[in-house]
Amino acid sequence: MTVTEVQLPEPKGRRPMVAVSAFAAEQPWIWVFAAVVGIWLAIAAISGRGLVGTMTATITLAPFLVLVGIGQMFVITAGNGNIDLSVQYSMPLAAFIALSVMNGGRGSAPIGLLVGASVGLVIAVANLLCILVLAIPPIVATLAVGLLAYSASSIQAQSFSALPDPALHAFTVSSVAGVSWLAVICLGMALVAGGVLHRTTYGRALQAVGQNRRAAQLAGLAVTRLIIVSYLISGMFAALAGVLLATYVSPSVSLGAPYLLNSIAVVVLGGSLIAGGRSNVTGVWGGALFLLLLTTLLNVVHIAVATQDIVKGALIVLVLALVGAGEGL
Amino acid sequence: MIGSPAVGSLRHPTLPDFGDWRQATSDALPVLALIGMLVCTLVIVPASRSVGGLDLLLSPAVPLVIASFSQMFVIVLGDIDLGTGYLVGLANVVSARYLASSPATAIGLFAVIIVAYMAAGALIQLRRIPSIIVTLGASFIWLGWALVIFPIPGGTSPAWLSSLMNWSPSIIPSAVVFAAVLCVIGQYITHRTVYGTLMRGAGSNRLAVTRFGWSMLRIRLVCYGLAAVFGIVAGLSLTGITSSGDPNASSNYTLLAIASVILGGGSFSGGRALPLGTVMGAFAISLVGQLLVFLNVSSAYQAGAQGVILVAVLAGRALLRIGER
Repeated sequence: MTVTEVQLPEPKGRRPMVAVSAFAAEQPWIWVFAAVVGIWLAIAAISGRGLVGTMTATITLAPFLVLVGIGQMFVITAGNGNIDLSVQYSMPLAAFIALSVMNGGRGSAPIGLLVGASVGLVIAVANLLCILVLAIPPIVATLAVGLLAYSASSIQAQSFSALPDPALHAFTVSSVAGVSWLAVICLGMALVAGGVLHRTTYGRALQAVGQNRRAAQLAGLAVTRLIIVSYLISGMFAALAGVLLATYVSPSVSLGAPYLLNSIAVVVLGGSLIAGGRSNVTGVWGGALFLLLLTTLLNVVHIAVATQDIVKGALIVLVLALVGAGEGL
Repeated sequence: MIGSPAVGSLRHPTLPDFGDWRQATSDALPVLALIGMLVCTLVIVPASRSVGGLDLLLSPAVPLVIASFSQMFVIVLGDIDLGTGYLVGLANVVSARYLASSPATAIGLFAVIIVAYMAAGALIQLRRIPSIIVTLGASFIWLGWALVIFPIPGGTSPAWLSSLMNWSPSIIPSAVVFAAVLCVIGQYITHRTVYGTLMRGAGSNRLAVTRFGWSMLRIRLVCYGLAAVFGIVAGLSLTGITSSGDPNASSNYTLLAIASVILGGGSFSGGRALPLGTVMGAFAISLVGQLLVFLNVSSAYQAGAQGVILVAVLAGRALLRIGER
């Protein structure tokens, strides 16, 4: 059970330590950024690579995970077991279909992205039908719908050879001062998402649902509609990430595989509550940078991919053990 | 047995309510599903119309049946285990790697897995974290661990395990015998022991159980420990059947086991542990998969078929429940 934080009047003349811990409690993302800096320095120390180069390379890879993570965060914010496990399957399906539509044609990027996003929305609608109409728990509903999407991608994958719009490809690999334009745009989208969550009626209402669904209902909020929108956002963001990723690497049915655990991990690591009701967009960026830098670090010290799975799985369980579902660090 | 009401159910505990067709349909669902699937298979696959043929058809279902028991001990609490498939895979790999050459190592590792599962249960209880997130995170540990032992499938099965799993009596398919033994064990644990009653009670009404002074932590430890034990046995049976260890061979067991438990009469809200129903559900779902192979359905469609089955099973249950209200 999460409880709405009560704003106590500021005590006068606080000691600095108390002020710091109070700030950290209000800004849970601070921890993940501290970890990011730690790993960043460790990589530089071990590998002898430049600090700037390591970070710009990481920031360039981050947008895909950030996009999926933000969508996942909207769903998790709704609380009550809401979670979107279909992202790993909607990413490749959207990628395959969008690329088929673009088929290497110049100027076909807008229609391709539009079609890709629609694929995500269709999957989200299927998720919602299962969850809201058939009353299937979100975990199982989104996994089952995901399996359908997986089948559809497997069929698409047979003799697949379509290429993205060359202009879109040029855009995803273009950069300014070593940082990809995609990352810059994604930063902007994160700001918008943060604004939506914390400043708009929709965002606040969604957090209220996550904190206490019954109270939100009694307060007259349209709970079902709020949840519908959160799944649509998640489906669309995951699909867009899938299409953009497919312009970067050639698409396969396992394109989205790492994004199942990672999209949830960035939400949790970033200080959002897994039980819903408190979310943090800044933390999603922090979580994504942390996971990517962690992978770099594990690669630098030559740890096998299988062992990396163990480390990441253990890390998520550990962070959850420290944070718990109901209270901050 | 299927009709035995869960502790805390609103129905009268002893009198079956024959007048309620919805409850009757709900209870009969796994039986009907299994009979339906068996008839379909016998019609479509003529080679299955003998004890030996049925044995070949039903034996591959045994690991899934046992994995469903593992899932059942988690679902009974209202939790869900997203790591069942990789847990079975890890046990499969550990047994294929060590059981023949150094049994002590294998048993030691199994003990570690059981303790780790109980620790996950304790974490869920003490930190009030949703079970899906912990078990999802843990599943990557099981998968990674299995991949460290066997990056590619390999290993062998000890002779005793192979001969046990490939046992084919002439009068009855061995899978039916295994299923019957499992049913008796499962029914004993869930309906004849103190913790069996407590886990069903805790799934139905946690407050009532804790008010009586029982420790929720202990109940969770027992359930997650049993889930690990049955997951390991499922892995062993897989090793006996395939004579090798493959970290990914059982990855789809997670969902199939959930579907089996729910088809067998379990409920996501917890409180119901029905071994016989779960066994029948698992056999029915395993037969669907095999039938798709016999019908030459492309492997690309099989994942989708699993998704459809899962939705159909859950939707059917949900509709019956909505009608009940």
